[in-house]
Amino acid sequence: MVGPGPGGGAPLENANPLIYRRSGERPVTAREEDDELADSIDDREIFDLIRSINDPEHPLTLEELNVVEQVRVKVNDAESTVAVEFTPTIPHCSMATLIGLSIKVKLIRSLPERFKLDVHITPGTHASEHAVNKQLADKERVAAALENSHLLEVVNQCLSARS
Amino acid sequence: FFPQISCQWYCSQKYETLDLTVYIQCNCRIKNEFDTLANAKILLSDCLACDNCMTSEEGARVFQQNQKELFRILNLNKKCDTSKHKVLAVSICPQSLPYFAAKFNLCVNDAAKRLCGFLKSLGVHYVFDTTIAADFSILESQREFVQRYQRRNQEEHALPMFASACPGWIRYAERVLTNLVTSHICTAKSPQQIMGSLVKGYFARQQVGNSDLFLPLYSSKKMGYCLLLFMEFTCALFCVPQNLSPDKIFHVIVAPCYDKKLEALREDFYTALYNSQEVDCVLTSGEIVQIMEQKNVSMKDVTEVAVDSLFDEIKEGDVVRHDGKRSDGYLEHIFKHAAKELFGMDVKEITYKALKNKDFQEVTLEKDGETVLRFAAAYGFRNIQNMVLKLKKGKFLYHFVEVLACPGGCLNGKGQAQTEDGKPDKALLNQMEEVYAAIPVRLPETNMHVQQMYQDWLEGMDSKKVQETLHTKYSAVNQTANNLDIKW
Amino acid sequence: MKEALELVCRVPAHPDSRCWFLAWSPGGGLLASCGGDRLVRLWGREGPGWSCRAVLGEGHQRTVRRVAWSPCGSYLASASFDATTCIWKKQEDGFECVTTLEGHENEVKSVAWAPSGTLLATCSRDKSVWVWEVDEEEEYECVSVLNSHTQDVKHVVWHPNQELLASASYDDTVKLYHEEEDDWVCCATLEGHESTVWSVAFDRSGERLASCSDDKTVRIWRRYKPGNEEGVACSGTDPTWKCVCNLSGYHSRTIYDVAWCHLTGALATACGDDAIRIFEESASSDPQQPTFSLAAHVPRAHSQDVNCVAWNPKEPGLLASCSDDGEIAFWKYQRPEVC
Repeated sequence: MVGPGPGGGAPLENANPLIYRRSGERPVTAREEDDELADSIDDREIFDLIRSINDPEHPLTLEELNVVEQVRVKVNDAESTVAVEFTPTIPHCSMATLIGLSIKVKLIRSLPERFKLDVHITPGTHASEHAVNKQLADKERVAAALENSHLLEVVNQCLSARS
Repeated sequence: FFPQISCQWYCSQKYETLDLTVYIQCNCRIKNEFDTLANAKILLSDCLACDNCMTSEEGARVFQQNQKELFRILNLNKKCDTSKHKVLAVSICPQSLPYFAAKFNLCVNDAAKRLCGFLKSLGVHYVFDTTIAADFSILESQREFVQRYQRRNQEEHALPMFASACPGWIRYAERVLTNLVTSHICTAKSPQQIMGSLVKGYFARQQVGNSDLFLPLYSSKKMGYCLLLFMEFTCALFCVPQNLSPDKIFHVIVAPCYDKKLEALREDFYTALYNSQEVDCVLTSGEIVQIMEQKNVSMKDVTEVAVDSLFDEIKEGDVVRHDGKRSDGYLEHIFKHAAKELFGMDVKEITYKALKNKDFQEVTLEKDGETVLRFAAAYGFRNIQNMVLKLKKGKFLYHFVEVLACPGGCLNGKGQAQTEDGKPDKALLNQMEEVYAAIPVRLPETNMHVQQMYQDWLEGMDSKKVQETLHTKYSAVNQTANNLDIKW
Repeated sequence: MKEALELVCRVPAHPDSRCWFLAWSPGGGLLASCGGDRLVRLWGREGPGWSCRAVLGEGHQRTVRRVAWSPCGSYLASASFDATTCIWKKQEDGFECVTTLEGHENEVKSVAWAPSGTLLATCSRDKSVWVWEVDEEEEYECVSVLNSHTQDVKHVVWHPNQELLASASYDDTVKLYHEEEDDWVCCATLEGHESTVWSVAFDRSGERLASCSDDKTVRIWRRYKPGNEEGVACSGTDPTWKCVCNLSGYHSRTIYDVAWCHLTGALATACGDDAIRIFEESASSDPQQPTFSLAAHVPRAHSQDVNCVAWNPKEPGLLASCSDDGEIAFWKYQRPEVC
């Protein structure tokens, strides 16, 4: 069980978010079970990496809040690119940058280094869309953020598995 | 049921000619003339307290301190619901006056009176000069310096002492620097903070005493008549409240810089009992000029009205200032006081020696061939930085430093005398410096009102009340709170 | 066919980490590198390859973002995310940290020594650019804090022979500063880029400036003094810097660095698409509207983003590059004849 998040007693910005049903588990194909063959990385695999990320404020996952959806994940394995769009629950959500950072960190930690990662806000769904996208795309800012122990702790809580 | 009315609300010159009965009945229909005014955007200065260190809540509260807020109160005062009426008091910083004088080509006394006339024409009830608050601040700083000097061998952080008047510097020290630095800051409150106490503490209390007798605080004969009529009327009909509580005064400060807006939010400025800040709104000199422009009012055409004092029946006379060229004069006053108290020397003239740049100047006192006092004026961020770096290395050899965030001092505050592109208007600044220098100096010790207030209001010079009212504590703020909104 | 840009060798300089930046010593004999492992390393030639000569550790608590050599080569400055800048002094047996410059509120992104060697500039995410002065006793004093940018300042660089400073920022602009009376002031703002400007480089004369950006373009700016023959408008006594060339369509991701060779005039870029590109100015092009063409392109110069390209100041055509993969690569560049 995840607590109310590190925000402590602060009032939630969106106290009653809509909750969505989780998707089923990904079926494993015979090809994937064959260890001899190299697996390519597909949209569903990326989605599986990020759907269980916890929202910083609610005891819910990004999938349950519909912040991430499989249709908003685009992978091109041959060109080593991954593009993810996420949708904040409200247009003024102050957690948008933190959610985006958590998604980015999860992908950095999970994917081979050859991948170029682009994490963006779904167009038209946030008041500071441009500013958030720009900050998430700035690898120097992201690198410095991950050396900030307070911030890292918050991100790690978002990425921790629910027990 | 009639709403409660406190008599002061109707005493202002603004309303003296109104038929009171009519006014009380139907002023809700008076057109809201201020609604369309004052949409100018606030730009926080970046002298020291840039928005880097502001939380979003602070940002919102700083942003709220604009002309609209003043007009909101002015409009409420025009409406029937008297429970929402407030006494509007505006206190003007001495470093703002030279701006109005130079900009409108007036002598400083005329500028003060016309500014007062303008504010009163808007519906402001009282206009004060904050020089008296600076008197208190300087006197307390002087005494603290002598005490710190005497303790310098016992106490590690006694010296150097840093001046506490500049809110940009204080904000920076508390947010960014450690207690190693903040422990050197003089505990005397800044003039703005003291003015807050004077208006919402002393001044409001004066009204309480008088209200027992239902005596008006106004002395003008015209008004007295008006009031007497009104009071007969109200005394017969209403239960008149006994006092003027702090939240019934809306206190505006007119200041040369934006950082004073942040200072107004300080917790030691807040009275929980009344949920009231001692300064409700800080407007910069430039923002006042914007109001004039928006209302199409020229300073030249405004009627001169004498500035009020905190004391019944007395109006302020000519504008006076403190020693010192570009600030409230802490360095010069403390220097002279310390020379006298500690070394028995009378210093008449102070000689500044510019060191690295024009904003880092040194003043020393020699006795028997030995330097016994070493003071500095450090203005602007770069000089503050070097001072802090040297202090950390134990290489900072001064006894007192007048620290100001703005290069050139308070006249160069970012709330006035700026060109369109946000740079200082140098020609205007030179004029302002001349205007300021021409104002006669009055020593804080010679202000009889101040002496009187120490006795009557503060219960003596060394009382607990002096500590509570005129001093505060500056310490480094730990920012790493458990907070999701971490800037990165 | 012989490639214009040929790999000489690769060195795993900052293994399991990022290599952020490279700086050649003024004599060209040593290359300093820095990275996410909080270290500065010095590299010297050994046979056909390059080997590590020194490791400068224990100066910083976080990533070292940039390093800069003093013009005399006896000092090295390192800028770090830990908000400090260290000054390292050459000793008989290596380098020792002699001073730590504090004052920036957060990550220091860049540091640069003025050609005189008495001034140093630093910049930070705190939006400020600082100018420091060093005296004979090696005491550093802050002579100016410039708050002209409205965002994170990414890079500072000095004019090759004048006391003119340039800075690049997350606010999409480049700003120039010079001393006026007894303080420094911003004297020009170069607007045009549509996203973060990551790096700027002067050409040898200092009359032109190249800037590279997250908007995937490189722009060339030229200085026009008041009263110039071309009729470019100037305000007051300050020169105007006008964009005379925009290299767009070549890069597919953020361009992190641009280096203008002062020996050959070749312009190299380091890009987030893992590639190194080299541009040459057409000899026949109009100085008011110069044209640059792609002379070399190595698509997979590194296995990850290329963060920096650095031309050796003495040996024409010797280029070093470094990457998020932690490696340094050394390249030999030969201008193609068709160019």
